[in-house]
Amino acid sequence: MNENNSKDTISREGKQRRRFLDLILKIGGLTGLGAIVYPVFRYLIPPDIPEANVSSITAGTIDEFLPNTSKIIRFGRKPVLVVRKKNGDFKALSATCTHLDCNVQYRDDLEQIWCACHNGLYNLEGKNISGPPPKPLSQYSVVVNNDRIVIAKGQST
Amino acid sequence: MSVFNWLNDRFNLAAVQKFMKKKQVPIFYGTVWYYLGGISLFLFIIQVVTGILLVLYYQPGAATAYESVKFIVGTVEFGWLIREVHSWSANLFVFFIFLHMFTVYFARAYRKPREMTWLSGFVLLILSLLFGFSGYLLPWNELAYSATKVGSDIAGAIPVVGDFFLRLLRAGDDVSGATLTRFYGIHTAIVPLVFSFILAVHLIFIQVQGMSIPPKLEKVPKEELKTMKFFPDFVTKDFMAWLIVLNIIALLAVFFPWDVGVKADPLAPAPAGIRPEWYFMFMFQTLKLIPAHVFFMEGELFGILVFIIGGMIWFLVPFLDRNPHRRKRTNFWTYFGVVVVIYMIVLTVWGYLV
Amino acid sequence: MKQFSLRILISVLALSFGEIQGQSSDDACFQCHLEIDEDMDVSVMENINNDVHILKGLGCADCHGGDPQAFDDPDVSMWDSEDFIGSMDKLEQVQVCRKCHSDPTYMRQFTVSMKTDQVAQFWTSQHGTLLKSGDNNVASCSSCHGVHGIYPVSDPRSTVYPLNIPETCAGCHSDNDYMAEYDVKTDQFEKYRNSVHGTALYESGDISAPVCNDCHGNHGAVPPEIEYLSDICGTCHINNMNLFRDSNLSRIFTETGLPQCETCHGNHEILKPIDQMLDLSNQPNCESACHVDTGDIGVILSKEIFQVIDSLKVTMIHAQGRVDVADQKGMEVSELFIHMEDALKTLIQTRTSIHSFDIDHIKSVAQEGFEATTLAIAGAEEAINEHGFRRKGLFLFSLIITVFVVVLYLRSRISS
Repeated sequence: MNENNSKDTISREGKQRRRFLDLILKIGGLTGLGAIVYPVFRYLIPPDIPEANVSSITAGTIDEFLPNTSKIIRFGRKPVLVVRKKNGDFKALSATCTHLDCNVQYRDDLEQIWCACHNGLYNLEGKNISGPPPKPLSQYSVVVNNDRIVIAKGQST
Repeated sequence: MSVFNWLNDRFNLAAVQKFMKKKQVPIFYGTVWYYLGGISLFLFIIQVVTGILLVLYYQPGAATAYESVKFIVGTVEFGWLIREVHSWSANLFVFFIFLHMFTVYFARAYRKPREMTWLSGFVLLILSLLFGFSGYLLPWNELAYSATKVGSDIAGAIPVVGDFFLRLLRAGDDVSGATLTRFYGIHTAIVPLVFSFILAVHLIFIQVQGMSIPPKLEKVPKEELKTMKFFPDFVTKDFMAWLIVLNIIALLAVFFPWDVGVKADPLAPAPAGIRPEWYFMFMFQTLKLIPAHVFFMEGELFGILVFIIGGMIWFLVPFLDRNPHRRKRTNFWTYFGVVVVIYMIVLTVWGYLV
Repeated sequence: MKQFSLRILISVLALSFGEIQGQSSDDACFQCHLEIDEDMDVSVMENINNDVHILKGLGCADCHGGDPQAFDDPDVSMWDSEDFIGSMDKLEQVQVCRKCHSDPTYMRQFTVSMKTDQVAQFWTSQHGTLLKSGDNNVASCSSCHGVHGIYPVSDPRSTVYPLNIPETCAGCHSDNDYMAEYDVKTDQFEKYRNSVHGTALYESGDISAPVCNDCHGNHGAVPPEIEYLSDICGTCHINNMNLFRDSNLSRIFTETGLPQCETCHGNHEILKPIDQMLDLSNQPNCESACHVDTGDIGVILSKEIFQVIDSLKVTMIHAQGRVDVADQKGMEVSELFIHMEDALKTLIQTRTSIHSFDIDHIKSVAQEGFEATTLAIAGAEEAINEHGFRRKGLFLFSLIITVFVVVLYLRSRISS
């Protein structure tokens, strides 16, 4: 037997209930829809760092680097020492000392790279020249783009 | 309403509306199982939507896949949510598909005139397993890598074509970055396309033929059958079922979140206790239990043959079940089905207990 | 005839094995001693083919004298030659080595940049001084470098390659019987092995770690004088040296005659310094030797310094705990790990800074560490809160859905 949909049998109370429930359904439906659409919408907006693997990073502008000064920047998880030599050229090297992993620093009095932990010294090409460090510092390439300094993996040509 | 009229003038929507209003769904003890197909469809839609969203940020490749998943989960706004939904919904999808298939089987709904629906459904099942298998590797973590290795090893045991098939699947002899790329293509391009087409065919069959009812009820005159209107009654109930499933996904995401894991390292020795995804576990465990030699064959080969032959029997059951219309509710095929279900459940549980 | 056939034999061997240098096959000493080596009291030829002198083209006669062309007669090749020295005593040995190794013009043909001051230094050393006064027990050239199989210093097989130096020195200096007549302890090698430098050398294979000669000198080896002890440690530990020198403690130590770094750190068994060295309730430590009374300014200062370091460590442990919790919950915390690395670096720098014995300086160095831990803790709490917020949000969503389903069900009952 088919079930009937007889409007006459619905009382006024039933009508009120129906309207009330409809309202809740409408509100709930919109909320639910919003709860689904909103995250999707936020998801589509790209985050500040657009991707996971860092292949290059901007270290600043030329003006931020006086000659014979340096800055340590983060390249992904690794620290990189960016040096502007006295003659204006840029050099980017790993800032992790090859002896026991301390952070190295640029010494403008020596114009060399020094590790405070055990007095290791590297020249500006990253070559270990004195003290305990057994290996040179690994190189990063520097490209001056307009007036931005861009650091990337691999050696400069 | 004017939108409806505008479209109606062009596409005769009124006819569709009339059809929908007339559509009736049988009501009997088995009506509840009707929802399983719809739920599977719902989960498939969720997979497509969340999958597309993931594709916007995911980067396939051995050097970038894991990092991009970490990025999605950690940095992208609500990326964690999209990933959780996709991962849990995938598992529920396979579960409900199996449930749907077994309920159809035991109702013997595969009998004439619905043989093609069954055949297309079985193909959809295989494609779903391929979906799951290929998708599982994409996060490129240790778990995924070893599950894929173990799973594809089973493929390699197929007689004659096994090695060729293995190389085809893995894009090489071992699971590597090339495998990842290939699986990505399979998971996001090939299978979605084929699946969508066969799904459309499957749904068209159902629309044209209507819902299957037990042989007993087929003899009852149409006017005396209890039915409900498809629209709005069945649709409402279907919608409720979908919401309940959505709820389940949300609760699973809260209480059993997926983690990113450890990045896969092809050179590292395999971690202890690797195993495939749960829906392959029964096969994996069976192969582990088979003795090294059965009759004149290698045990693994025997196992694979059993699976292949069993699958083919299952596929062809509409044509093998000679007497699906008789009064008795059970016959050989019913028992066969029960044995298969028990076997799968027991072996799956066993695989996890070991 | 015998010598002739011997020459043929040697030449054949030389041609077939190619080991023996061209010159050596023409060298009478070499040939004969090859044959009789196993009958000698001490083997001479066992490792001769690896000897750096032989490889550079020198022969036996270049050190021992004699006539290397006299193949037939040992009298002619050895005893009758004026400049022949057979086995030599230690003083003679120094003279023989000195003949070439102190001659810059001669050495230039082999290694343009080789030093030639070894013997001059040796005479200033304890070994040299005692040798001159007639003590034949002390080390001379061969005691450390070997003889008849000398490898260059850069060769890992050399007895004076950095990894091997402690054992070479210990050959005499750890031998109680040998050292009995001298007023010198014999526990240095054992102590060194336990030290942080010994561990770096033997367990990490770090050949930049100091071995005996890095502090004592090699040819001019003496126990370091108190006056320049901190210069020796300061070769590597330059910050500690500079800070200490500028501190008021340096002057006091010099006046009191205390051996600077060694006073607190020891000499051979230099262990990794622990922060408890500053804690007066922990015996023994530096301060208790001089600063005994509770009200003593040294005691108060050491307590203050310990406080700074200890509080930094405690903060770091707490921060690490929070970061780990956030990490386990699956939140993205690599930025926070960087802060913890910075904090650790500051902790190391703070420990170095104590050598200034200036509490304001120490506090200013530690400040950066506190800033890093503050950032890490803030980030971790934010991540943990975000995680909780997400779960609550999802749970709320789940409740809404449940309510919605119930309402939908009720609504569907009405219309049916």
